[in-house]
Amino acid sequence: MELSKTVEKKLLIDILAIKKDIIKMIYQAQSGHPGGSLSCANIIYLLYNNIMKINRENPQWSERDIFILSKGHAAPALYAVLSKIGFIKRDELFTLRDFGSNLQGHPVKNPKFGIEVSTGSLGMGLSIGVGCALAAKLDNEPKNIYVLLGDGELDEGAIWEAALAGSHYKLDNLIAIVDRNGIQIDGSTEEIMGLEPLADKWKAFGWGVIDINGSNLNEMIKGFERVKQFIGKPKVIISYLIKGADVSFMQHTRKYHGRAPNKTEYEKALKELEEIERSIV
Amino acid sequence: MPETDLRDTFGNFLVDMGKVNNNIVVLDADLSSSTRTFKFAKEFPDRFFNMGVAEQNMVGTALGLAISGKIPVVSGFSIFTTGRAWEFIRFACHDNLNIKIITTHGGIVGKDGSTHNALEDLSLMSTLPNLTVLIPSDNIELIKILEYTFNKDGPIYIRLPRGAFPTIHDENYQFSIGKPDILKEGDDICLIGTGYGSILALESALEIQKTLKISIKVINLPSIKPIKKNKLINEIKNTKGVVVIEEHNIYCGVGSILARIISENNPLPMKFIGIDNSFGESGIRELLLNAYSLNVKNIKEKIIELIKIN
Repeated sequence: MELSKTVEKKLLIDILAIKKDIIKMIYQAQSGHPGGSLSCANIIYLLYNNIMKINRENPQWSERDIFILSKGHAAPALYAVLSKIGFIKRDELFTLRDFGSNLQGHPVKNPKFGIEVSTGSLGMGLSIGVGCALAAKLDNEPKNIYVLLGDGELDEGAIWEAALAGSHYKLDNLIAIVDRNGIQIDGSTEEIMGLEPLADKWKAFGWGVIDINGSNLNEMIKGFERVKQFIGKPKVIISYLIKGADVSFMQHTRKYHGRAPNKTEYEKALKELEEIERSIV
Repeated sequence: MPETDLRDTFGNFLVDMGKVNNNIVVLDADLSSSTRTFKFAKEFPDRFFNMGVAEQNMVGTALGLAISGKIPVVSGFSIFTTGRAWEFIRFACHDNLNIKIITTHGGIVGKDGSTHNALEDLSLMSTLPNLTVLIPSDNIELIKILEYTFNKDGPIYIRLPRGAFPTIHDENYQFSIGKPDILKEGDDICLIGTGYGSILALESALEIQKTLKISIKVINLPSIKPIKKNKLINEIKNTKGVVVIEEHNIYCGVGSILARIISENNPLPMKFIGIDNSFGESGIRELLLNAYSLNVKNIKEKIIELIKIN
């Protein structure tokens, strides 16, 4: 299925609005992780808007698909998407990281907001996804479990324990997405702790694997279709993305992994996102 | 008739619970024959998940099952489960999930040696908010604790030994969460035990009273967290000193928890019996307990020291 030009344009504009919110939230908090939030904002939005079975009126709808943000430091992206689909009031976004806010620096379980489980310590989400997938199978519920992993967190051994279990239990309702932006806190993933050949590793663990250009919405949507070819096994979409995507000075750098923009940077970032928006409209 | 292993009581109880509650699922880390969860596995193969030798993923999977409405029971050896998977347990507690961590081989295991002893698990677990920490001192208490555990929503840790304990309760015993259980009345000195410590406390009190002309009270503390402090203080306030006996490192163990409560609310001289900053070693369990200070003689010495203070 190819997105029509109009639909694609609308999606791109929504994603840019989400990215602007991410920048505003982190600027206001003067703390947070812009790089890895900007890289995966498009995936999270696409999941909620186009892929997952959800009920916009009821975040706790029992038949919903489950999303787990294993790379919990991308909380601003999750919150901004949940606001866009109506689970979180937009005003609340700008309380990010404040004392007393519902929106902590990393996601805390909050069923009313559609946050299924707390995350932030890396390497835990895939195991949690395995548990959700087993539960859905036990209950014969036709739901999918989506887990978004950072590439840096693939260093964690527990990810690979979960990878073993996912294929051992033939969890074809479990879909992992790797945000393959190639950069972790201290440098490039290949410099710090080499992951390649990454697709081969997942294949060897018994997963159905595809690589996609995650910056291309059509390719991403098709990716979620393509993984359906893998019968009786869990699936992983290695999504090549850009750390800090769409803000020139945050792109391809580790500098903004966990650093908030100052006033000048904030204004420049918003201006750039608005320019992209204008070029689309 | 020899006593039943607490592990078997646990394994049989799980099967009974499995029959009445379809939401109960059991996970083990390749130790189901040791922990006795194999009994559940045999009866309910669809609701048993052997997660292999991978405690972190076992507890992580339990988190996912719990947020999906299941009641996961996680089992394994005490130190591997609480130690290797500690941070996953922390998240289960953080989100107050309905997960039951019930492990065997707590305390001194015997011939497997120091690497397999669990002398730090109570510290690791008691520091976690939302977690209830329970230790049975015999099969009767274990059943009451298990009944409580499956009637109560939220994360619970239960530490079982590898083997059997003598029975010190009668069938009418009532377990009450947080409440000290009085095994023997007495006026002068109070012994507080948990798990095997309670058995040793009771045995020691009866023995020591034959030679020392003092009246010894014995309290069993099955609930390490929570502890109802008023009930505890009421029981000890008229005694002249307290000896805590635990099969655990005395650094950050049950004695430390009690010392905080007692010193804040009703200061009394205290002595602590447990493993003193060691990992232990291989050997027959009974010999090891004796060698690592868990014996009547040592308890008697501590009591004499307390009497001298007074």
